Amino acid sequence: MRYIGRWLSLTFLLVAVSAAAGDFQARAPAPAPALRVQDLSGSTVSLADYRGRVVLLNFWASWCPPCRQEMPSMERLRKKMAGRPLAIVGVDSGESAEEVKAFLPTLKVAFPIFLDPDSENTRRWKVFALPTSFLIDAQGRVRYSIAGPTEWDAGEGLALIEKLLAEIPATQR
Amino acid sequence: MNGLRIFLVACWLAGLFAARLALAESVTLPGTAGASFERYPASGAALLLWMASERGLSDAEMRAAESLARAGVEVWQWDVLNSYLLPALPGSLDRVPSEDVGTWIGMALGTGKRVTLLAIARAAKPALRAVAALPAPARAGLCVVLLYPNLYADAEPLSEPAYLPLGRLDGVRVLVLQPRRSASTPWLPALTAALTRAGAVVDTRILEKLREGFWVREDATPFEVEAGNAFGALLLRELTTWECGK
Repeated sequence: MRYIGRWLSLTFLLVAVSAAAGDFQARAPAPAPALRVQDLSGSTVSLADYRGRVVLLNFWASWCPPCRQEMPSMERLRKKMAGRPLAIVGVDSGESAEEVKAFLPTLKVAFPIFLDPDSENTRRWKVFALPTSFLIDAQGRVRYSIAGPTEWDAGEGLALIEKLLAEIPATQR
Repeated sequence: MNGLRIFLVACWLAGLFAARLALAESVTLPGTAGASFERYPASGAALLLWMASERGLSDAEMRAAESLARAGVEVWQWDVLNSYLLPALPGSLDRVPSEDVGTWIGMALGTGKRVTLLAIARAAKPALRAVAALPAPARAGLCVVLLYPNLYADAEPLSEPAYLPLGRLDGVRVLVLQPRRSASTPWLPALTAALTRAGAVVDTRILEKLREGFWVREDATPFEVEAGNAFGALLLRELTTWECGK
């Protein structure tokens, strides 16, 4: 009886997780918090470097299975959107450069991965779950967020990115 | 030959089962509708109350209780989901009556042993609410260990975290054990501040290279497997280092 209960519970849990995945939150357009991260060679990068482009900002960690699960769809998105004003930015939360460098060869992605070893940016962006992603418009405003993994090269994620890209004046696209 | 192998394996399994039965006994919690916990008796002066998480109670946790009892720490282990027939969801533990948890703690304090309450993940909510409702003298003598506690009332991206109202925890010593590889680790200072505001005296310890639920993960790393197999020893080490109640 106890085990039947557990299986039912597991089913409930799986249903809950499935329901939670892909749950985008629209946000009132507001300036994005500061993002000051380092690339793997130690150079500092900020969100302002991407002004004029739509940004998919993804907080992740190498130990996080759902993060690793959605990464291939982000790489497919990068290829699909080549030449368009979209930047995909991964920020590893709370791990050292050595840990990230050791893991990256298994990831097989070509978009930039930045470091947040002391989680300062993770706290500034109020990230409580991994992965958490933000869609930032070309004016640097956070427009959507999602806590949990999604398929970025299809469905709602892709539609929202296209919507933000369409807001960019045609002469700047 | 195969028959002999099967017989020997069956004997081994029966032996394991019998050993566990011999070590643990089921105790019904008075004043509840049949809620019960497992008691792993030991002759030492310390008693660990173990509240399982919203994942339920795993074999690794039962083995940890056994090893603690063998080391002299009595353990009362409570699978609250099973007691109240609740699904394995974080919100389920919000439905556990804190009065029943208070009765359980009161029973433990009545033994005269040095009592430490361990609550895992969302079990921290009913555990701390029960502690807050204890009479002040009882509360002051209690040690509480929270393993990656989930005390969020609200945690939405780009918004300050809101923590559950728990009541007053004046004088209660709390040790938070936080796996390094957790999305909650960056928020440990905020959690500590919330518990301190409630009156608790808080210590924190980072469990390096581990993730939440490391003892039960299907994708456990070799390090996590090793730590899960030595879960009892890990807790004993942390409790000994902490020295609460001595």
